[in-house]
This record gives sequence, structure tokens and C-alpha cells, in this order.
Amino acid sequence: MTKRTHKKLRLTKKVFSFPYILFLLLFVVIPLVLILVNAFLDSENNLTLDNFKMFFGAPSSLIVLGNSLLVGVITTALCLIIGYPVAYILSKISSGKIIVLLYVLPMFINFLIRTLATKAIFIAMGVELGMGTVLFGMVYNYLPFMIMPLHTTLSGIDKSYIEAAQDLGADKATVFLKTVLPLSVSGILSGITMVFIPTISTYAISQLLSNGKIFLFGDSIQLSFEQGLYGVGSIMSIVMLIFVLISNFIMNKFNRNSNAVRRSLW
Amino acid sequence: MKRKFTLCLTAIFMLACTLLPLLAACDGSRNAASGYDTLVIYNWEDYIDSGDSEMGRSDLRDEFERYYENVTGRPLRITYTTYDTNETMMTKVLKNDANVDLICPSEYSIEKLLLAGLLENHNDLMKDIAPQLADIEKRLDGLDKQKLGEQELADIEQFDASLGGMSSLKNNGDGSIEPKIMSVIRNMFSNIEGVKGAEGAVDMTEYMVPYMYGTLGILYNTNVISEQELENYGWGVLWNVMENEQLENKILMKDSVRDTYAAALFYLYEYDLLPEKYDYITTAQELINLTDPDILETAEEALTSQRDHISGYEVDFGKDDMLNEIVYADFAWSGDALWAVEESEQDDGSFLLGYYCPTGVNPNTGKERFSNIWYDGWVIPTTVKNKLAAMMFIDYMCKPQSAIRNSVAIGYSSAASKELLMGDEYVKSFLEDQEYDFDEYFDDIGRYPKIDYNLGVMRDFGARNEDLVNMWQRAKSGAGVDVSLFIIIAAIIGAVAIAVALYFVFQALKCRPRRIVSKRADNSQK
Repeated sequence: MTKRTHKKLRLTKKVFSFPYILFLLLFVVIPLVLILVNAFLDSENNLTLDNFKMFFGAPSSLIVLGNSLLVGVITTALCLIIGYPVAYILSKISSGKIIVLLYVLPMFINFLIRTLATKAIFIAMGVELGMGTVLFGMVYNYLPFMIMPLHTTLSGIDKSYIEAAQDLGADKATVFLKTVLPLSVSGILSGITMVFIPTISTYAISQLLSNGKIFLFGDSIQLSFEQGLYGVGSIMSIVMLIFVLISNFIMNKFNRNSNAVRRSLW
Repeated sequence: MKRKFTLCLTAIFMLACTLLPLLAACDGSRNAASGYDTLVIYNWEDYIDSGDSEMGRSDLRDEFERYYENVTGRPLRITYTTYDTNETMMTKVLKNDANVDLICPSEYSIEKLLLAGLLENHNDLMKDIAPQLADIEKRLDGLDKQKLGEQELADIEQFDASLGGMSSLKNNGDGSIEPKIMSVIRNMFSNIEGVKGAEGAVDMTEYMVPYMYGTLGILYNTNVISEQELENYGWGVLWNVMENEQLENKILMKDSVRDTYAAALFYLYEYDLLPEKYDYITTAQELINLTDPDILETAEEALTSQRDHISGYEVDFGKDDMLNEIVYADFAWSGDALWAVEESEQDDGSFLLGYYCPTGVNPNTGKERFSNIWYDGWVIPTTVKNKLAAMMFIDYMCKPQSAIRNSVAIGYSSAASKELLMGDEYVKSFLEDQEYDFDEYFDDIGRYPKIDYNLGVMRDFGARNEDLVNMWQRAKSGAGVDVSLFIIIAAIIGAVAIAVALYFVFQALKCRPRRIVSKRADNSQK
């Protein structure tokens, strides 16, 4: 008997994870379950599938979702196009790490403050708020998330690969396309994940930088909950989660393939 | 062994660190230290006079605590919590985890709470607290008036065992509430059917006492919009019907379904754009409580067409943007608008901003202009613990001195009778202290609008609310997928393609003939 209690109370390093596990249970798992349950309940708490009908039957919600995905794709593409050359150049110069820090520093300032400041600048410049300003705000906010992983991967590439390619007679373009780019695929993928997933769910940036004229999926979810339409709001949240999971899954799959590329390259 | 002990301690410490804030957050017990009565108030943010040391005003809540103690002989502690939207408040109250004594929601939320059977009839409560009130009277009679301080005497003087200020009590008539407001409310809310746990129709006025009220109108920049334009175009100003170039894209609407929907309806009515079947409508009340699919569709068209003329939707920054002249017209609540107008006083004493609540007849279409009148009222939910304090608090808020103080502090118009306020000596001296002109204050048409059939109260839309929200989503997201997005995507792809192509062209030109050994390789060989 004593032995059993002794075993029960045994303290290992595992014990230290309990507080966080408890936290996860309370604030992540239980809310997710609640969302799932709410999706099947109507306002009188009866089981129903009407919420699904309402969401998938209404073209408006699907248009909003489509708009959000498009904005997400554009933001990610812009971040990649702007971020890759920056990360590439920074990885080549010796003081690159310090400059990267300068890029990342703004991340330490709360994004709401930065967005409000951006808005004030646009207003002072007389720029009309709309899709353009929203995209600017998104790219500005998420660019560091793209540069960071890219820089880490690019500066981690063994120089000898590049030298080997040059030895074998590759010109600059070929060196870049055949060695640097394939070797940095994992960085590109994690950059895309880190930008795309948060952008499809943003709502504050779009709301602030367009005065509420650009209405994204995040805004839609917020509106539903605010209006007490928990069922539809929950379904939207689930749809969003599914998108996050899908993009994560695709990224993982690609990542594994890219490892294979690396090996075959070697 | 010692190590284990330390481990154990650390684990307990970490657990405590996580759990304590949790426990604190879940602290639902409101049992203050014994010997205290408690009162839990759930109100809008910034919706009571919380004192202003510069202007020599103390916190009205503290004053009520003192009043309660002087009258009942028992100390009171007020717990004051706030919400920012009716919906936040209703979520909490409808799920029964509010545990409060007093709430101050808007008319349609009151209706919703009433329908859910969550409100107490004030007349029933009066019966419950009658013995307590009798005890208080006995106690006050027994007090030696000679020994009391000035403040205590004043408080006792104010006490009225019949709680005469409350319009919800049957014996009081309209109490100290403006009779015109009460008649609008009675007209709309005196026969509520289908209240949970009640038989037959229920009179909502017995469940609530109006606190503040206001109208919806247009806050405008006097340099950009002339009074003539307002007179001629009314609600059309928000659609920039007069095609004022300066105003284009400088209009803000409310990011709130009910208000913006109401604006669309007023506009449609004034410009005679409603389908023929609505020709029977003659009052604002009828108009703004329409929610059938046809009218929603018409309103959606109006709101979608408005998108091309407005800067956007807001609920909080409109006043500031108006003051900073970032936008020139804002669809606003009267209280907010009056505050902004006061703030906009210029060096020469004129005002940059003005508030206009459309009334009268549109000279071009010959149709009348309507607007919305809304009000917030005190209600007592079924979770009430301290019935006496809750009732006394409502009564205290109805007294002229509380009404004028709240009204001045928060900028909204008190629902207390204008006549009562104007006849009160305290009100006169108080307005003087706060640097207001007495006549100007009460003659302000923005603060005290003419209340007749031109102003309608909006009811709870019930099950139709979902359709309204869907309409609002469509209107806000625009008609379809934004075409400009596809153009941007195409542009990005095009730009990348061109960049890559250029890169290769340059490479091809530069690297001919190809160098087999690169520079670096040369160096390393040396």
C-alpha cells in the first residue's frame, strides 16, 4: 500500500509540465470542444445542422472566405518576393546578423500600435484607405516572419556546395537555381507557413487600415459572435481551423520532400 | 531526499502560480466582509458621473453609498463592473453567470432579457422591500435630528419611502421621468407577449426605469456642409446625394448593424425609394421595425451603393476623426455628437462641428424625415441579492441632482423630466458651476429633441436578427470577390516573371564566353 502511494507521488521532471498541461486543457482543449459543440446547437440549445446550411448556403460568407484566402495568398507572395532577396543579401554580408536584428526589432512593438501608426501616416499623406493600405499593413506586419526563417536557412547553407557548383562550371544563375534555392526550400516553406496562417485569420489590421470597408473572414467570425450567432461563428472558426490544418499538412509534406531533395543533391 | 523536497516545493509553487490567477478570475463570491451590504452594478463604460476633481464633483457612486448608510444605518459597498456592447452584457446575463443587482441596457436588450424571463417586476420588488422601508422610516423618525451633521440631514431629507422617482411603480405615474419619453415607450413596449414564465401580455415599463436617451443624426463639419444642404438633403447627406466633392469618401457610418440599417431605412423613405407595398407607413416606429426579406434587400442595395461614397465604418474613432477634420460627416449618436461639438469650439467662439437630427420634410421628394430615439434603462435581474439597495439606487438616479450630474458628466440627455430639472434650484447652480448657460442648455435641440411620431424606437428583432446580420455582412463585404485582388495577383505574377526573365537575359549577355574557373577558386589555388 505504502509502496503504491509512493509510486503515485513520485516526482520526476514530468511533474513540471503539469501546470502547462492544465493550462492547455483549460484554455485550448476545452474551448475547442466548446466550439465543436456550439456548431451543432441552435439558439435554444437544440441539436441542429442549420448552422452548416446557413454558412455553406449563403454566398456572402463564402465570398468573404474567398476574399480572405486571396488576401492571404497575396500577402504571402509579396512577403516572399520582398523577403527572399533581403534575406539572401543579408546572409552574404558579415554584418548581416545585426541588420536582421534591425528588421526583427519592430516585431517587439505591439502590432496594434504599429498599425495605428501606419494608419496615421497614410492619413497624413492623404492616401485613401482601402485594399492597398490593408495589403501594405499586412506585408509590413508579417515580413519579419518571412525574413527570419529564410535568413536562418540561407546563412546555414554550407559554402562548399556553392563553390563546388562554381568549380563544375555553373554560372551565377545556375548556382543560385541549382544549389541555393533548393537548399533554402525548407526556409521558404516555414516562412510561408508563418505568414499565410496568421494572415487568413487577421481582422484588426484590415479593420483599422480600411476603416472597416474591407471585410475579411476574421471580421466575419467576430461579427457573428458579437451578434450572438454562436452556431455560425463556431462553424466559421472550424472552417478556419481546417484551413490552418490543411496548410500545415501541405507544408509538412513539402518539407519532407525537400529533405529528400537535399539528400539527392548531396 | 533533500532534492526531492526542493523538487516538490518548486512543483507546488509552479502549480500555485498557474492556479491562483485562475481562482482569482473565477471568484464569484461577493460576500464582502460581514457588516457590509453589497450592491453589484453592471453598467456601460463611462456611463455615470465618476467625479472630476477639477470641476469639484465627487463620484456619484460614493455619494450613494453615503446616502444609503445615512438612511439605513448600514454601510454599503458598491461593486461596479462595465460592458462595452449590449451583446457582451446579454451573453453574460443570458448564460446566468452575471450575478448582478442592477443592469442598464438599451431598450431592445431590455426586451430580450424580459422575454427570457430574467427581469424582476419593480412592483413585486416593492412589496418585498415594504417592511424594510417601513423599518427605515421608523428609524429615521427615532433619530435625534439635533445631533446629526448637515450632510446626514440632507440625505435623510431626500429619502422618500415611496421611491417616487421611479416610473416603473404603479402609484408613481411617470415618476420624475419625462412624460413624452414614457408615452413613446408605453406606445411600443406596454404589451409584450410571450414572456417566459408569465401569462398574457406584460407591461415592460414596470420592469425598467429610463436613464439616458438620445437620437441618431449627422455630425457634420460646418465648413464643408452648409445648413442649407442639410435642410435640402437630410439623410441623403450620408449618401452624398448632392455630390459635394469635398465630402466624397469623407463620410463615416456606424459599424453597428442596427444603427446603420436604420439610417438606410430613413434614407430610403425620405427619397421615396421603398417598394410600393410599404406605402402604408406613416410613422418612424413602423418604418424601423420592418425586417421582412424585401426591405432587407432594398436596404442592402442602399448600403452597397453607399460604399462608393464613404470612408468606412467606425464605432469609436469617428468623433476624433471629425475633430481632426479627417472626415467631414459622421453618422452619430446625439450624446457623442454633442460632446464632439463642445470640443470643437474654435478661438473665435464658433463651433467647427454641428449636429443635425433630420426632421421636417424633404423639399425635393415631399417625404418626411424620420429618426431613431433610443434609451437605456435600469433593470433589476432575477439574480438580485440586495433588493432594497437596487431599488433605492434607481430612485436616487432619478433625482434631479443625480440626473443633471450624470448628464453633464457623460454628455447624453437624461431621461428625467425637463420641467423637473428646470425647476430645481440645485440644477441651476450646478450648471452655473460647470460653466453652462442654463437657457442654452435646455433649449439645445440636439440635447432635447422634439419627441413625436418622427422619432421611432427600435425593438428587438428576435429571430429575424440573423437575416439582418447576414445582410450586413454582404453589405460590408461588397457585392462579390474584389476584382482588384485578381489584378494584384496577376500583377505580382507578371512582375516576378519579368524580373526572372530580365535576370536570365542579363546573365546570358554577361557570361559569354563562360568562365570555367571562378575567381574564388583562383585565389584558393594560390
